[in-house]
Amino acid sequence: MTAWLGHVGAVERPPLRVIAGRQHRAPRLRAWLLITLTVVAAFFLLIYSRVTLDHSAFVLEDVEQQLEAAETRYWELRLEAAELLSPDRITELAQEIGLVYPSEVRTVEVSGIVVPSGNAEDRWVDLKALLGAQP
Amino acid sequence: MHQPTVVRVRKRRWLNARLITVGVVLAVAWVALGVRLVIVQALQSEDYAAQGLDQRLHREILAADRGTIFDRDGQELAVTIDAVTIYANPREISDPETVALLLAPLLGREAAPVEELLSADASFIYIARQMDREDAEIVQAAQLPGVYFLSEPKRVYPVGSLTAHIIGFVRPDDNVGIEGIEYQYDEALAGAPGELLVEKDPQGRTIPQGEYSVVPAEPGSDLVLTIKVEIQYAARLALEDALERTGARAGSIVVLDPRTGEVLAMVNLPSFDPNNRSDSDADVIRNRAVTDVFEPGSTQKLVTVAAALESGIVGPWTTLEIPDRIEIEDTVFEDFTEHSDLLTVTEIVAQSSNLGTILLGEMLGARQLHAYMTAFGQGQPSGIDFPGEASGVLRPADEWCVTTCVAGTSIGYHVSVTALQQAMVYSVIANDGVWVQPHLVAEIVDGSGTRRAVEPERRVVVSVETAQSMRSMLEAVVASGTGSLAAVEGYSVGGKTGTTQKYLTDAQGYSEDDVVASFIGLAPIDDPRIVVAVVLDAPQGDASGGRGAAPAFAVVTLAALHQLGVPPDAE
Repeated sequence: MTAWLGHVGAVERPPLRVIAGRQHRAPRLRAWLLITLTVVAAFFLLIYSRVTLDHSAFVLEDVEQQLEAAETRYWELRLEAAELLSPDRITELAQEIGLVYPSEVRTVEVSGIVVPSGNAEDRWVDLKALLGAQP
Repeated sequence: MHQPTVVRVRKRRWLNARLITVGVVLAVAWVALGVRLVIVQALQSEDYAAQGLDQRLHREILAADRGTIFDRDGQELAVTIDAVTIYANPREISDPETVALLLAPLLGREAAPVEELLSADASFIYIARQMDREDAEIVQAAQLPGVYFLSEPKRVYPVGSLTAHIIGFVRPDDNVGIEGIEYQYDEALAGAPGELLVEKDPQGRTIPQGEYSVVPAEPGSDLVLTIKVEIQYAARLALEDALERTGARAGSIVVLDPRTGEVLAMVNLPSFDPNNRSDSDADVIRNRAVTDVFEPGSTQKLVTVAAALESGIVGPWTTLEIPDRIEIEDTVFEDFTEHSDLLTVTEIVAQSSNLGTILLGEMLGARQLHAYMTAFGQGQPSGIDFPGEASGVLRPADEWCVTTCVAGTSIGYHVSVTALQQAMVYSVIANDGVWVQPHLVAEIVDGSGTRRAVEPERRVVVSVETAQSMRSMLEAVVASGTGSLAAVEGYSVGGKTGTTQKYLTDAQGYSEDDVVASFIGLAPIDDPRIVVAVVLDAPQGDASGGRGAAPAFAVVTLAALHQLGVPPDAE
């Protein structure tokens, strides 16, 4: 190596200078790639989120329709229950199976039984449960 | 060399002129486009955006759910369900005859009237309102051209005619209450409608993430009535039986809780079905117990005697000498039951002595008698939460005639009351002398579950002692007097019969054939839990208050006491 230098030693060479290596250019490219990928990913993410959101909106609409149908069904069943509890119907059924009003009334007093007062506060517990179940 | 140069210059000039023209035209076009762009995008952009949005925006009124009406135990008396209304656009129907032939059987109608509807010169016509969903689905499946469907709320009354006079009904078109409780509490029941604003595509599908805003409807409040369905039913059965037995034209039964003023039952016959009232006339629809007045007759004697006791003129055991008859000008007053010449005040009530009561009335005088009648609530509406209540007739004392007015009023003539008003008179005696305003709604429960209880007005009419004395006298009426058929096994009851000639408003005189028979009573005597009034309009034969109305009282009283869990107090 030294010999070879000696052979061309007559030529005056410029002083050595530092040239930016490839290692300086490569990160810039990677950065661009990264940015590009990020943008593309973000774009797809955005599209995906929009599609998902749209899909959710349709699902929500379906659920709302189901809710509405369930509410309708609830009120139909409440009506049916009320009609089944109608005294007219119960009397008719009772007569069909041969039940009659007792000819004499016998009253048996049982100690320890609390007679319901029938006031609004006592009734409210049952009513509240009923009203609370409403949609 | 010079010539060609000139030609080129000319050509260039001509070219330049054309270029300039084109340039100018283009410039003008560009300017015009620019101006238009500015107009469209800047100056009128909001208008155009709004027009576009208007085409996509759909504004829907969200109907508020009308509140449910319950009886005191939570049984539904009025509910709202979703129903389907069928309508048509006749302009879209090219062959109404064929469509009518297909549609009519599905609706259960004749084809001709349906065809007439479909041939109308209109773009909207109702075919069937508020159909059941199942029935509508069958029509929907037929996919008839120009026939459309929309969802509508429908008010339904599960117990039908049983509570028809109390609940009333709504107008089918818009569910606005027009009778009864539905009318009285319409504002509370109706709630407030909401609004949905949503963007839809031309196919009518909601555009996701489009414009969307919703103002939710505010549901109507629920009402909890004071009525108990079982007592209501027992009262109706008893009234049906009474009408059949006596041949009466109509009748009413009112059951009250005297301590609270709660109406436990209120029944009128004839009745109607609120779910189908197509052939119900006004005569059947009105709540007679609140709107119809009658002269109370002997049931009024309670007021006269209570006033005499309260004012200290007599005591329960004061003895009066009863004449055979009292003649005032052309009018002769007599007793219809045989009794001794000397009667105590208690016996006057028990024997329903007209003459004894007239003597007490004369002792009181017009002013004092009028004052007590007013205090008992006669001649004025009771203030019950029900529309169209009659106030009855009670003329000011100054206007009473000097001849028969005091005597007649003492025994229940010259005064008119409703069944409810007269039940309230007995309610005062049952409640130790305190008048409590009658009411049908116990509580109003709003959408958030907040309860608003109804606070009735109260006032003292007579003392506890007077009330207790009167209860003993009423007990004697049932035990040994004219009201024996009102006796209830196992319970001590008291009450008063009443039979009056019916006053005919049109003829301005009394009917020779028709009477109004009544029985009003309370039970148990020591601690009354109920007051029951039975009024029969024009019973036939010899059906008086004692024979016609008293048995119905006994049936209703027994059922009501059982339903309320009141233990027996007598052998």
